[in-house]
Amino acid sequence: MSDKNKGLSKAREIYSTRSQRVRELKAAGKKIIGYPCVYVPLEMLTALGLVPYRTYGDIKEPISEVDRALPSSFCPIMRSCLDCAMKGKDDFLDGMVTIHSCDPQEKTAHVWESYINYPYFHYIDMPITVRPEALEYFKSQLNDFRKTLEAFAGEKLSTDKLQAAIKSHNRQRALVKELYELTKPPPPLISGTEIVQVVKALMSLPVTEGNDLLTEIIDEVKNRTDKPEKKSARLFIWTGTLDDTDVMKVFEGKANVVMDESCGGIRSYRGEVKITADPLEALAKYYLYEITCARSFRQATIGETRKDYDRDLQSRFGYLKGIIKEWEINGAIILLVRYCDPFAFEIPDLRDYLNSLGIPSTYIEYDYTTGALAPMRTRVEAFLETIS
Amino acid sequence: MYFAGVDIGSTMTKVMLIDKSDNLLSAIKGPTGPEHRQLANEVMRQALEQASLQIDDISYIVATGYGRLNVPFADRQITELSCHARGVSSLFPNARTAIDIGGQDTKCLKIDNGKLINFVMNDKCAAGTGRFLELTAAALGIELQDMGDISLKADKKIQISNLCTIFAQQEVVALLSHGEKLENILAGLHAALASRVAALARRLGIEPDLVLTGGVAKNTGMVKAMKESLDCELFVPEEPLLTGALGAAILAKETYMKAVAEGEALPTKSRRLEKATFFS
Repeated sequence: MSDKNKGLSKAREIYSTRSQRVRELKAAGKKIIGYPCVYVPLEMLTALGLVPYRTYGDIKEPISEVDRALPSSFCPIMRSCLDCAMKGKDDFLDGMVTIHSCDPQEKTAHVWESYINYPYFHYIDMPITVRPEALEYFKSQLNDFRKTLEAFAGEKLSTDKLQAAIKSHNRQRALVKELYELTKPPPPLISGTEIVQVVKALMSLPVTEGNDLLTEIIDEVKNRTDKPEKKSARLFIWTGTLDDTDVMKVFEGKANVVMDESCGGIRSYRGEVKITADPLEALAKYYLYEITCARSFRQATIGETRKDYDRDLQSRFGYLKGIIKEWEINGAIILLVRYCDPFAFEIPDLRDYLNSLGIPSTYIEYDYTTGALAPMRTRVEAFLETIS
Repeated sequence: MYFAGVDIGSTMTKVMLIDKSDNLLSAIKGPTGPEHRQLANEVMRQALEQASLQIDDISYIVATGYGRLNVPFADRQITELSCHARGVSSLFPNARTAIDIGGQDTKCLKIDNGKLINFVMNDKCAAGTGRFLELTAAALGIELQDMGDISLKADKKIQISNLCTIFAQQEVVALLSHGEKLENILAGLHAALASRVAALARRLGIEPDLVLTGGVAKNTGMVKAMKESLDCELFVPEEPLLTGALGAAILAKETYMKAVAEGEALPTKSRRLEKATFFS
């Protein structure tokens, strides 16, 4: 399909130009709120008519400004995100919501606020372990967030509006899951590279527009004749974020990527927010319990004196078992962004779990620059040679 | 029937030609330089000349190494990890682990039945690679190839605390200004590099026989330091630079023979040895 204004072509276009639509919306009077991490409850923004816009780093943009603000031995993604912000890349933003998804995000939040002047800025202190006391604290944090948002929007966040927004975002989650169903056949009907484009496009649009785009894409992909070529392996990518198609193309050179655990992929769409009488609590539960990012530590044995390793692995990675079977995955790539401690600490245990399922895996570290791509290609191809 | 392996590494380009009985017909080495494609062409021409063959005589060509995509006349690309594993096991049939220390990569390979089954590589950094020795040799004003022999004369080993290539150079200069003897500093440098490579290899798990390849395996001081660090027997091929190209040539032969045996048509590239451009 060559119509630039529809389906996959439109997603590809938004992937490269990104902010065009939100700039139009801003000119029409809408307020655009940035967020650097999928743990920010976007439903609360949508409910108040604010447009959420995911801010990213850029592996192709040489770091030049951020050394004034952050140390060099620090998360390269956060460094790149703030570097882009300091260069005025997203200067149309009316506000920014950050969250304690990991320590670099938390530290960067305060630095970010002091370097970039947004009309609105809010930081959510999200707990890191999954347990009942954490949920209570997180709910109180979301309540604080509600108050500052209401003050900024000049409007109360009613239960009805919030429920409606939750339904729209749940619709988006359902559509993304439907899209991932289309990677099941061999060869998949949609490539990992195209999915990176689609997800980035979704994170650049208001939720209803994203849903319309997804509906078009699903229809197009189901009926396409130009589907990806069948390659020798079906890969699962486990990473913090994979937000650039050049990285995905390294994996897809000689394999099909059919599933991921990445916030540039399915991570924030896998679960669903429950519709209950207390939507704020439902949001707190969803974001704390349901999103499977390594930043949330879900130990099985809280309150017990002895650690049961197998049960612990099951609690942390058990959801992958069905996925690996259903998507017929035969290899996993563990892609670590340098200095990413939350993900690094999970790797030995994740590999133990994958081994127990008989899934070969390889571990690749990169520094979030394009210079890392050539060595990455050698490692990926060598891994594919070992499993072929 | 003749087969070629072309290994374009970050520092050196290597070509090997073999016949169907694995007899070696020619082996050529040359510096890679910035123009991979044109050099592949030239080194291949020399290899053909040495073997008195024409390019059309070659049945199948495998390219490997960092520049493997820049060999316009290669029929297939295979990573240097699989090629080294294949080359090493053809020379040492009992090899289970190989360590290849090249110009920009250090690779530890687990081998089973001639095939790569697992690997680890160094991080994207010069520490722990041949470049570390190259740059420190330059800083000390000595020739790279003399480094190992000089280090063997050491009467003590100086501790080098930092393995960052830049910081290690600073440390070496400081040690010289303190009057430390060159050979003792070199022994320390080799031990430091060996301990880093050994740590990498232990992540993979070392099973005998263990083979050391790559340009750094030509360095006598480094072979000694590696033996000390790993505390085990270490085999070094006569031509440690050429195992990748050898493996590529053998894999070219095996790919071709398998296709012939199965009656499959094997697509090959144009055999013209013309200069490639980036637009082709």
